[in-house]
Amino acid sequence: MNEATTIAAEFPLISLMLLTLPLGALLIWLVPDPGKARWIALSTALLDLGLAIAVVVRFDPSQAGFQLVERMPWVPTLNMHYLVGVDGISVLFLPLTVLLFIGVIAASWTGTRTLPRLYYMLLLLLESATLGIFCALDLMLFFLFWELTLIPLYFLISLWGLGPNRRYAAVKYTLFMIAGGIPLLFGFLLLAFNHADFSGATVPAGLVWDYRELLETPLPHGAEVTVFLLLLLGFAVKTPAFPLHTWLPVVSMEGPASVAALMTGLKLGAYGLIRFAVPLAPHAAQELHWLLAGLGVIGILYGALAAMAQTNLRRMLAFASFSHVGLVLLGIASFSLQGIQGALFQLLNFTLVAGGLFLLTGFLHQRIGSTDLISLGGAGRSMPLLAAFYFIFAMAALGVPGTSGFPAEFLILMGTLQSHAGAGLAALFAMVLAAAYVLNSYRRTFYGPPGSAAIADALDLRRRELWVALAFTALILAAGLHPALVLDATRESSGLWVERLGVLPP
Amino acid sequence: MTFAELHWSAHAGQPLLGALQLLPLLAALAVVTFRESPRVIHLGLALVLAELLLAIYLYFGYDPANPAMQFAERLALPGPFDYHVAVDGVSVLFILLTAMIGFLVTVYGPVRGLGPAWRLMALVFAVESSLMAMFTTMNLFWFVLISALQLGLIGAVLGRWATSPDKDTALSRYYQFMGTGVLLLLIGTLVLGWGHTHASGGRWAFDLFELSRVQVEPAFQTLVFFLLFYGLAIRTPLFPLHGWLPLVAEHGNIAVAPTLLLGLKVGLYGLLRFVFPLLPEAVEEWHLYVAAFAVVGIFYAALMAMLQENLRRLLAFAVVSHTSILVLGLFSLDHLAFQGSVMLSVTFGLALATLVFTTGLVYRRTKTTLLGKLGGLFDHIPFVGIAFFVAGLSIIGMPGTPGFDAVHLVLEASIHRFGGLVTIAAALGNVLAAGFLLWAFQRAFLAPARVERTESIQRITAPELLVAGMVVFVLLGAGFYTEPWLALIDKPLAQLSALYAH
Repeated sequence: MNEATTIAAEFPLISLMLLTLPLGALLIWLVPDPGKARWIALSTALLDLGLAIAVVVRFDPSQAGFQLVERMPWVPTLNMHYLVGVDGISVLFLPLTVLLFIGVIAASWTGTRTLPRLYYMLLLLLESATLGIFCALDLMLFFLFWELTLIPLYFLISLWGLGPNRRYAAVKYTLFMIAGGIPLLFGFLLLAFNHADFSGATVPAGLVWDYRELLETPLPHGAEVTVFLLLLLGFAVKTPAFPLHTWLPVVSMEGPASVAALMTGLKLGAYGLIRFAVPLAPHAAQELHWLLAGLGVIGILYGALAAMAQTNLRRMLAFASFSHVGLVLLGIASFSLQGIQGALFQLLNFTLVAGGLFLLTGFLHQRIGSTDLISLGGAGRSMPLLAAFYFIFAMAALGVPGTSGFPAEFLILMGTLQSHAGAGLAALFAMVLAAAYVLNSYRRTFYGPPGSAAIADALDLRRRELWVALAFTALILAAGLHPALVLDATRESSGLWVERLGVLPP
Repeated sequence: MTFAELHWSAHAGQPLLGALQLLPLLAALAVVTFRESPRVIHLGLALVLAELLLAIYLYFGYDPANPAMQFAERLALPGPFDYHVAVDGVSVLFILLTAMIGFLVTVYGPVRGLGPAWRLMALVFAVESSLMAMFTTMNLFWFVLISALQLGLIGAVLGRWATSPDKDTALSRYYQFMGTGVLLLLIGTLVLGWGHTHASGGRWAFDLFELSRVQVEPAFQTLVFFLLFYGLAIRTPLFPLHGWLPLVAEHGNIAVAPTLLLGLKVGLYGLLRFVFPLLPEAVEEWHLYVAAFAVVGIFYAALMAMLQENLRRLLAFAVVSHTSILVLGLFSLDHLAFQGSVMLSVTFGLALATLVFTTGLVYRRTKTTLLGKLGGLFDHIPFVGIAFFVAGLSIIGMPGTPGFDAVHLVLEASIHRFGGLVTIAAALGNVLAAGFLLWAFQRAFLAPARVERTESIQRITAPELLVAGMVVFVLLGAGFYTEPWLALIDKPLAQLSALYAH
């Protein structure tokens, strides 16, 4: 086996990145002026973007193992550590996550009237927890960050949601996620107990949560299947995978558009599958490849059909993203280098594309007060810039060559057609469906006579909105035209990921 | 299981445990004496703060590496009623919590405007002293006696500061249940003492050290176990013996009495201190039976909580539900589970205090705790809402609150002892708890107000901010760094779990 070397950090860059955000939140709390809150939030997020980019710059893509690793005792009695680091799989998520949050902050610049300080504090805390998810290498630390995201989300949805049922949506989301946390916790516990058994140590002392050590610990077959199923269940709730997706349309309708952008843009569940579920239970994952691929295909087709039937742009986008994430599951299930690189590429792509589409839809909602297709129409005439950027993002979502969606989908399809040819064909078919619902909704939104006076008089993108859209577009095109930008960073770690699957006897 | 102890002079220049029990009594006397003084509140606060510092001093003096009981004091009294106190890590943790909660309640009382302040303070201090006595004594008879006294004192708080015209039913129910509980405890204690005479040739004893030297006969064990267990279970309260709690919560006093009564899990402490070491066979024989009731209790109480229209009744059922998780952990009879249960009881104590304090602050403004008449409070008192929310999260064991490590330990042990099914049931019960607490939070704080309010809701005042801030700070502070607490209780519980390791 290619021994993955761990490179410790000389300077706690990741911790600094994680810590800046709560400090920004603290500053907002200390400064009583509500008008300054957004400025503090924006500058904190920009500072954090700098730090995230610094992480990427310091990251050496020729190494497969974890880098910039920091380790400190947290609960020594139970062997829990504060252990963070990045590898090729996670490193690019950091700047993109921060960028999406900057987009969200800019998008809610004038739209947040009630309790703005609390709103920006919660956003910064959510950002910190989300980045923590990508960096945590201790299973319990990961779980901590995983669950910590729920608290800000709960408040963001229930206090600033757009729909009348936002409080119901908040509770539904939170309960789904807490319930989904149980199988995750049990899966992690099983792994730690197994390590204690394996090393012959007593229980509290022998428990190990270090991801790198657990990767090397052999797991009895029965336990491995259980662990995989538990983790799959836990992550499937968040991804979301069929049939555990019912919270997504509700939240995207009732929650604020910014939160919907975060939820569809950041596919934490799929990341969890790639990072934890498959590598920690490699044989079970390969045996149950049909389950993963099946969930993927059902998700793709069901999501596409449901998206076609929607009459509201936000619900349509929610189902579209649900359909697209099915493709990622397929990519994972191919267990090949192309598949996993494509899946990672697609996840990174989502941050820009799905997040960007939802932000633009949020802009539209701010101006018109509705995203029901029936009340839209003709928006392209009064808002040409918004229409143009929406088109670019929609093309990227469809995987048109030249956008970042193309290499991602291409790689996934290559991997999938080799491993699950039928599923690959189904995915191709779903792409046609995707073109249908995306273009159809685009036509109904932006073409034709203006649906209402509000649309005819609507202002086009303001300067800050334009900046956000431009930044996203630049990245989409850059990654589309020069995919090596992404692929080079993920190659070594993805290679190791695939190698781990094959090394142990089947 | 045998006990060793270190005399107090081995650690400190003073008999610290005696001081811990006496200081609150003196404080009670002091506030009664100076009740006319305008500064009586400050006097009380200073004294209760001194008690807290004393408890912290005890914590630093205690040597967690040494498994023996420490700071022991003995005073011979006639018969088997010797004054004998000593502490181990578990007691130290409970003493810290008692001092903390005593302090918080003392701050809360005047803030909430419960008058006359001196009377409330005197009662609270007396209860604090009795709690200190219960957490230090090694004599089962003392434990029962003080328990009876304490229930009387708390009953006085309930009656004096009740917020409902229907308080008489609640009070009589309270005394009936508590009286039964104490009676069961007393009978159990006497049977145990009598059994000891039988086995040791005519010498009565209630001292833990002496009782533990002679094995209790198996026939007695079951009898004594059930007497003591049910005696403690009524107060805790455990399903199905919780009948008094919803009534008392609804019609009694909102925060002070429930905090004193339920914030400190005396029942759990009694089980760990006396029942588990003395009656290992009976505990092992009946642990499945207790666990079955606990699992049912988790669900039953959670479902009942969902049906409540009154926030106070809802919190009462929340207590029953989470106490069941605690008992499930305890009867997993495993080192991790013991640790988890103790940690969890500390968390629950603090979280419950926060929940009822914030409910009290809400009541001060709305004069009702009916969920249908609340709503929209988050716009006016966001910090109170956040404190309520954080406490709710601690109860369900959200990571980052002290509940997490604890719940996690309990679940780990429960997998070992009862298998996955029971454990998953317990975890699902926890999700239900999350459901009703979030639901209550939404209805009280976030949902639009359904009633026309004649006057606007008063913003949070500085002392209220202090109270809410303190409880949240303590909760979260203990949550992100649980290590010292785990280290504190590790050794004493290791001895206990060795008794059950097969």
